[in-house]
Amino acid sequence: MTALRIRGGQVHDPANNVDGEVRDVCVQDGQVVAEVGPNARQIDASGMVVMPGGVDIHAHIAGPKVNAARKLSPDERRDDPLDRTELLRSGTGGLVPSTFATGYRYSLLGYTTVVEAAAPPLAARHVLSELRDTPMIDKAFLILMGNNQVLFELIRESGGAVSPRLRDAVAWWLEATGGYGVKLVNPGGVELWKQSNGHIDSLDDEVAGFGVTPRQVLEAIGGAVHELGLPHPVHVHANNLGLAGNADTTLDTMRTLAGRQAHFAHLQFHSYGGKPGGQPRSRAPELLEFLNRHPEITADVGQVMFGPAVTTTADAQVSARLRDLTNGKWINHDTEVETGCGIVPYTYKAGNYVHALQWGIGLELFLLGQDPWQVMLSTDHPNGGSFLSYPKLIRLLMDRAYREDQMGRANQRAIRHTALPDGLDREYTLNEIAIITRAAPARRLGLRDKGHLGIGADADVTIYHDRADREEMFATPRYVIKGGELAVEDGDLRRADDGLLLSSHAAFDPDVSRVLAPLFEERYTVAFEHYPVRDPVLREPARVVEAAG
Amino acid sequence: MRCSLVTELAPVTCAGCGILCDDVTVQRAGDGVRLQPPCSLGEEWFCERVRWAANAPAAMIHGQPANIEAALTRAAELLRGARRPLLHGFDGATVEDTRAAVALADRLGALVVTGGVRGAWPGAPAVPLRGASTATLGEIRDRSRLVVIWREDPATTHPRLLDRLGFGARAGRRHGQRTLAVVDDRDTATARRADLQLSWARERDLEALSALHVLQRGLALPASELEAELGGLLERIHAVPHAAFVHGPGLGDGAGGQRRVLALHELVRALCLDRHVVTLALPTAAGITGARDVLTWQTGYAQNIDLASGHPELVTATGPLATSEGVDVSLCIEGAVSELPDGVTKIALCSRPVGGVEVSIRTAAAGVEAAGTLHRLDGVPLTLQATLPGDAPKAAALLSRLLAEIGS
Repeated sequence: MTALRIRGGQVHDPANNVDGEVRDVCVQDGQVVAEVGPNARQIDASGMVVMPGGVDIHAHIAGPKVNAARKLSPDERRDDPLDRTELLRSGTGGLVPSTFATGYRYSLLGYTTVVEAAAPPLAARHVLSELRDTPMIDKAFLILMGNNQVLFELIRESGGAVSPRLRDAVAWWLEATGGYGVKLVNPGGVELWKQSNGHIDSLDDEVAGFGVTPRQVLEAIGGAVHELGLPHPVHVHANNLGLAGNADTTLDTMRTLAGRQAHFAHLQFHSYGGKPGGQPRSRAPELLEFLNRHPEITADVGQVMFGPAVTTTADAQVSARLRDLTNGKWINHDTEVETGCGIVPYTYKAGNYVHALQWGIGLELFLLGQDPWQVMLSTDHPNGGSFLSYPKLIRLLMDRAYREDQMGRANQRAIRHTALPDGLDREYTLNEIAIITRAAPARRLGLRDKGHLGIGADADVTIYHDRADREEMFATPRYVIKGGELAVEDGDLRRADDGLLLSSHAAFDPDVSRVLAPLFEERYTVAFEHYPVRDPVLREPARVVEAAG
Repeated sequence: MRCSLVTELAPVTCAGCGILCDDVTVQRAGDGVRLQPPCSLGEEWFCERVRWAANAPAAMIHGQPANIEAALTRAAELLRGARRPLLHGFDGATVEDTRAAVALADRLGALVVTGGVRGAWPGAPAVPLRGASTATLGEIRDRSRLVVIWREDPATTHPRLLDRLGFGARAGRRHGQRTLAVVDDRDTATARRADLQLSWARERDLEALSALHVLQRGLALPASELEAELGGLLERIHAVPHAAFVHGPGLGDGAGGQRRVLALHELVRALCLDRHVVTLALPTAAGITGARDVLTWQTGYAQNIDLASGHPELVTATGPLATSEGVDVSLCIEGAVSELPDGVTKIALCSRPVGGVEVSIRTAAAGVEAAGTLHRLDGVPLTLQATLPGDAPKAAALLSRLLAEIGS
């Protein structure tokens, strides 16, 4: 492997308290090292900005839901082809790119690790197959557990407490699927919607037929993840996404999980005041205040960007609402025992009150938050916009004049309902950008080798020209080093790399199979013995992160 | 059915049709096999593949037995020299086979077709126009109290489907009374099991679906002799919280087929406003669902694509593809070679015996001689087990070899 000295760059490595120091970064055998020999290749990074490779903690890039979104929108990728080369596979782009295009474009953006944030466990083979075809980046996926009927049975059995049996079942599921972490989407609510187009009003509503409540699901599965010591805490998509007044639900969910580690996905979509059915208002400041008092809870923002998006979610009732709102394309897919799925193409319009409010709330979360380690960058790709819009979002955060210009183009009534016009003059520093795009996500994911440039870290490094136009700067890294090898130079991919699958492992009592097998027999149409993914071709190359518990 | 399986295998996954039943016990029964739960299609599927494994030559060139290396070299020559290559088939292809096939097609700049290459074009695919509401088998089994089979005969083509959907021994396990309705003017095995049969000619399907949609919207229907039947069906749908429509080639094949499928999805969408209604599509073969999934994730398009320009483009031909696109060399992967016209030079990587081809290499049948992943008709991915020792190569391995040869 290459020995490499990245010489004289302005290094931003917040995990190691390095904030813009001019120094060398040395790389050998895929890791950051203290020194390399005189014959090491050199990259002159003087005048450039050096950061760890980007880490996306929440995106939707692979699996049946994402693939259904591709099937739904051939028209929108027709004009965005990707030609094959001697090195690269062809593909198509658009908001939901083909797998190869996804890997290449993340790499060209300086990202080296991406988490698929919502995978049905039953479809793990499909997810893994797609991830194998997503090159250049290391990737992990979170498995959906918030509406799993088998887990509901175990939670009811334990009276909502974390039982050893439940803990074992969660660990078993991770082992069976190759998943990295646990995701709860609208806990209990998706099952209710599949039952009767119903929904959750309160965390104490009972999920009909199962004798459990969303609060019990949060406490029991969140508690199991916590007790297992999984590298990433429970990742929560709270109930009532997108509804006016949902901040009450979000705060209740946060209070329920307080004291345990938890990560809240796309918080922007859960920060609305107002009355149900009415026009939303921002309650982002209240949520931030809660976060300030609870460092054990983190969030990614789920910023919406004006323009086209594709809403792809396991929260199928949200999609049904958007279907009725847009009268446009709509896919629904119900997955037995485990989850739902909905897809609706959607356009966020600057002149629309709700869309402009969503945009403003996202910026509030970024700009009013006190601790960038707690509030991370995401657009919930492709729900709030493509990951390709990250550079523009970074410019919005770093460039007040640009932000104000963009605010001026948005629905003014909505903007007035946010804190943005109140002299919110904060501009993110490069170090803060490094925190919200790599250091904090890596730390929150429990990826100790990523998101920093300390000795022994993965040699995933992104080098940018230090341009005044931050959008241009972050859209076109000068170099991307992945695993110690030069992956991108001047906007061109220099090598094809498969990337690693990241999965986690926690010990469990194998006798849990005796508990699960009859429940599977009762509920699934797949035999219990055929459910776990054992195929080496799907699970390798992998890096397994052990639980701390 | 005579075959030479020597062991009892349980439970394994059967790829005799798109249901991919993975609860199957295979037992030797005289010279044949018996499956538990019983399935004549599955028994035939296992026996055929066991027989092919025992009898078919490893490779053929010009109809003469050859070794695999020579056949690969010849196949690579043909593909390298092709002006308009086509990759097709995929009836029994695994996900791994299709991944390798699309990689090769990308290098060749080939057409890739996962549907038929002969016959009338059914029109632009329906799903990208408006979407669809779908579900896995278990959702339909456990929730749908009304299942409407639209012009299909799964009791014959997918023999265990009705059982898997809860109309067999486990019927009514959770949700009490359930109704099986069939729309078909034929006397089929499925119709004979149905609680209700609605009978009109296939040519009237679009009219019937549109009329149901009109009725669902509360509008008056122009005078039609279908009104009573349609009104009755709609009443039954309105009486249940969950319903499912099962459809397939009977609705979607042939001229105007996708308009009919679109009408079904529009109807289901309207019904979904106040209840939960889903559809389930029956594929023509076990490998097709996975092949289309792979094609979608690798290229962005689900069915027929053209890579000649250097990137994927959706093929929107209106005539049979092989002729309208001027295909000169075809590579069939686990499918039916016979669909192509005589003037095309044909290569086959198939577990089944093929005739009339320039080069053929016998592959290990997934689920018998080789393991592999297939996607069930509802999208659920499942692993097929290797149940019989054999030395035939997998199609995926051969495709990777071809890619290496052509790329070098």
